[in-house]
Amino acid sequence: MKKVININLGGLPYIIDEDAYVHLNDYLDAIRSHFSYSEGCEEIMYDIELRMSELFQEQMKAKQIISMVDLEAAIEILGTPEEFGAESTNSMYEDPETKNQNHTKGGYKYIKTGKKMFRNPDEKVVSGVCSGLAAYLGIDDPLWVRILFVVGTFLGGFAVIAYILLSIIVPKAKTAADKLAMKGEPINIENIAKTVENEINDISQTIASLGSKKKV
Amino acid sequence: MELKIENTKAQMRKGVLELCVLSIISEKEVYPSDIIKKLKEAKLIVVEGTLYPLLNRLKNADLLDYSWKESLSGPPRKYYHITPHGQGFLSELMTTWEELNTAVYRSTSKNQ
Repeated sequence: MKKVININLGGLPYIIDEDAYVHLNDYLDAIRSHFSYSEGCEEIMYDIELRMSELFQEQMKAKQIISMVDLEAAIEILGTPEEFGAESTNSMYEDPETKNQNHTKGGYKYIKTGKKMFRNPDEKVVSGVCSGLAAYLGIDDPLWVRILFVVGTFLGGFAVIAYILLSIIVPKAKTAADKLAMKGEPINIENIAKTVENEINDISQTIASLGSKKKV
Repeated sequence: MELKIENTKAQMRKGVLELCVLSIISEKEVYPSDIIKKLKEAKLIVVEGTLYPLLNRLKNADLLDYSWKESLSGPPRKYYHITPHGQGFLSELMTTWEELNTAVYRSTSKNQ
């Protein structure tokens, strides 16, 4: 048994399996982000939805519900954003202009992917300054930074003041986007999903370990 | 930056694709599926998704225009036709293509 969802695709109603719905949603989101810099983004999206709807019409005939197989067949025909190839936003003569426009729009639609320093709440001893700094500097193991701070503490105590100041000034990485910026990874849907997934895994591991501790 | 053959191929195909799409539309009013069919037969495109952004760009450049028509089997369709501006653009591209064709032939054939 499967749950189904009612959707409106290009103005026509469809019944779609839940898993296929999620997949379709991801697919359309990926296309949208691919064209997010183009001026005709909404129109292209509508054209593609319309075509998708048409493909479903051809495929379905007597069938009532769109399954994963039907969806994959349609995606095969339409192609993924990677396969759209050069015919994206980066066309030869549009490229420099559109890029500049996006910059002048004051960051609208433009997601900054540069690195930012955050305190890392996932790997902290005191307040996550060292692991955040390690991530910012591209050092794999925050232990080295911690050792530096400890050694610095004995060499005159300046490191203590620096640490306290940093823990006040540097913000904590709260959202998934913050955590990606902390590591300098581009902020896009796939990466955010990955980060969130990791967090859920961490939480379930913590719960599992709590459970096993109780048993002992 | 490393020069990738795929990029070069894609660049080459892109210019030609515009020419072909305009040419197909200049013959008669067509809707995207007709264009896709022809381009697929000619092996110019692999996936349909390539065409929609291209049509959108040509339309925004005032080379094409469309009108909505009801369809018997599905949602209403966009039928594309070429504008006078597009007609001029196409004939210019056609000339360039012929010139390029000769130029490429001359500079790559070894028995000159």
